[in-house]
Amino acid sequence: MHPEKQKHTFEPKIIAFVCTWCTYAGADLAGTSRMQYPSNVRVLKFPCTGRIDPVFILKAFQQGADGVLVSGCHPGDCHYIAGNFHARRRFAVFRKLLEFVGVDLNRLQFSWVSAAEGGKWVEVVTDLTEKVRSMGPMTEFKELALEEQWSGTIDTPELQEAYNAI
Amino acid sequence: MTSLIDTTIYSAITEAIRVEAARILSEGEVTAVVGYAAARRKGSAQPIVINTAADAGQLIFTPSCVNNLAVYLTKAKKEISKTGKIGIVVKGCDLKALVGLMGESQLKREDMYLIGVPCIGVLASTVQPATGLTAETIAPKCTECDAHLPQGCDFVPAQTPVVTKLEHKYAAEIARLEALTPAERWAYWKEQFTKCIKCYACRQVCPFCFCEQCLCDRNKPQMVDTTPRPAGNAAWHIVRAMHLAGRCAGCAECERVCPMDIPLNLLNRKMAMELKELYDYEAGFDVLDKGPLTMFTDKDDQSFIK
Amino acid sequence: MQKYISQHNLDTLLDTLIKRGIRVVAPRMNAGIPLYEPLGSSGEVVSDTLPRRSAKEAFFPVCEDIMSYKKEGQKVTITDIDPGRFPETVLFGVRPCDAAAIPVLDAVFSWDYKDEFFLERRKKTTIIGLACTAADDACFCTAVGLSPSASKGSDLFLTALEGGGYACDTCSEKGEALIANNQALFDGPSTSNPIPFAEPQTDTFDLTKVKAWLNDHFEDPLWDGIATRCVGCGACAFVCPACHCFDIVDEGTEKAGKRRKNWDACGFWKFTHHASGHNPRDLQPKRYRNRIMHKFKYYDDKFGQTLCTGCGRCVRICPVGIDIAAIVEEINKK
Repeated sequence: MHPEKQKHTFEPKIIAFVCTWCTYAGADLAGTSRMQYPSNVRVLKFPCTGRIDPVFILKAFQQGADGVLVSGCHPGDCHYIAGNFHARRRFAVFRKLLEFVGVDLNRLQFSWVSAAEGGKWVEVVTDLTEKVRSMGPMTEFKELALEEQWSGTIDTPELQEAYNAI
Repeated sequence: MTSLIDTTIYSAITEAIRVEAARILSEGEVTAVVGYAAARRKGSAQPIVINTAADAGQLIFTPSCVNNLAVYLTKAKKEISKTGKIGIVVKGCDLKALVGLMGESQLKREDMYLIGVPCIGVLASTVQPATGLTAETIAPKCTECDAHLPQGCDFVPAQTPVVTKLEHKYAAEIARLEALTPAERWAYWKEQFTKCIKCYACRQVCPFCFCEQCLCDRNKPQMVDTTPRPAGNAAWHIVRAMHLAGRCAGCAECERVCPMDIPLNLLNRKMAMELKELYDYEAGFDVLDKGPLTMFTDKDDQSFIK
Repeated sequence: MQKYISQHNLDTLLDTLIKRGIRVVAPRMNAGIPLYEPLGSSGEVVSDTLPRRSAKEAFFPVCEDIMSYKKEGQKVTITDIDPGRFPETVLFGVRPCDAAAIPVLDAVFSWDYKDEFFLERRKKTTIIGLACTAADDACFCTAVGLSPSASKGSDLFLTALEGGGYACDTCSEKGEALIANNQALFDGPSTSNPIPFAEPQTDTFDLTKVKAWLNDHFEDPLWDGIATRCVGCGACAFVCPACHCFDIVDEGTEKAGKRRKNWDACGFWKFTHHASGHNPRDLQPKRYRNRIMHKFKYYDDKFGQTLCTGCGRCVRICPVGIDIAAIVEEINKK
């Protein structure tokens, strides 16, 4: 029996960029072990956290994500030996940049989840989802996407529709 | 009105640069010298490439010699023939860019003849070229400069730069922004980025933007919207700052050339501060095999990772 | 006939227009720089500096949507932008160099293809020019046959008078209509003298001679000499009141998106980059040559006008100090 699902007024969209070797396998384990975790998360599989370009995170927010999770192998476990070490430095710097331009870092989570840590995956995803849920929708990038230079502005229904479609 | 910063040594430096440029060109040590020459507007200067000793008399060094000439030696500038050794006039900040390019295997030390300039400071982009150099008119980067005397050059005029201590303009502004809430910072940058018209002057003058095909010009996949709308502008400037993190040498050319006066160097300085704090990295005069974001240690901070 | 309008009445005029729902665009400060932008009230106007971008923006936006698309299953819906929705606009405080560029743009946008986006905005806009009283050493309007008091392109033209207020010349029917609708704010002509006009220092170019030289010197060492230093950004074209190249891009996802038109510049390497990989203007001097050729030869060949109004913006903002006035001056001397 599934427990009764709680109804929420806001269901955040969470994009998870994960490495195929550890976190994807960990999420798989959570699934095969019949563990419950919020369905708000959309998983995108990459070969390695080293392949996850900071621009992907930016793009996710621009396309309407309310929260982003980046997850890969624990240090020392990288299938490609050092991909996650490189990623660690890159993300340490990128989050500082996002913070400086005014993105609330509570919406961006990094984690190491191994193939054996189905439970940790559930915990990380649940925590992030609930945190972002309590923060409400990420409006900054969505609103920005609708803004025009004054000279190109025309207030048309299409514009409003485009906004709603994001 | 504050008092003029003494730049009288610049005339002796100009003389020394001319003599040295004429010598290396006439002795065939270099095929060309990239330097500065006077332009039409009163007090203004522009980059120049000379190929003969007879032209060396055109070279100058004044507070209007603001450009980082290192950009002309990158593979992005195909106009200047890179055959043989090339002489180049560099301030300390410009030299750091060359050092960075050498670290990224873009340039070889033996292909360059470096004419270093003892520099007290240059003018900000917001003033007329004929303005005198004061604490108000000096380029913001010069208030934080630690490289008045370039190191490791082939030739440096003998003058010693006497430097006035000035308030650090970027540090003060970054501290102000950091004290704001994320929403306030977002509002600040939104206002700044909205002005952007995507002329890409910031990219084109940057010595480190030497990619043959910029990610932000691609449309398959289109990672960054190419149109000059607020969304695409913000994405461009975030991506630009990220791609320069750990590489930027602090010449502040991006900010100087911005026709819309967007304080781009604040982003670069902020990144530099973070890299200093996290990985003890600073752009300097030593050629490094690897930059801070192309290397790692197993002890790197991961307090932000669950 | 010349009229007089006091500063107070001028402010009232602008505020009244804004209240009537007309978009009033004028130089105002935004994040530290003067730009032509829609006003909230007449108090925002800054009339003492040349805006960083030109007034062409009011007709030829930095970026505008031209259509949107949506795909549902196999069904694709395309929605055109309705130019009828463009707002009525009064463009106020336009410098003579900016106003003069507008008839220049008219010629190209209503040439073989009528650009409805440009022309509709143009139709709905009344231009109030303002004589220029301050120039710096980058200004060269007088060198290309204009002047700080030239009313070319304006519907109404204001000249600031000593002791306050403005002399107001009517230059078109649109201007007449604006006065007719706000008659009470205007008085008969004033006898005060105008505040002295700006005096750009550049010598007048013989544009016929410049063009004759350009006709014969497509290949010339001059181009390498001046443009080797060009770094290939689009700043000069984007701040230019007369440059009018644009690019069209699709943005969005597979499911929905927009087709957008935005400024482009001949200085960009990508501007002439062919799909084959070949680029006929492979080096920067060739691209810069196009800028000069287009302004002083090609445009003249087609439309009998020069594509430069001497505002000096490109001279001020060029990252590497390329000075179009100095270049034309040099050609003029050949």
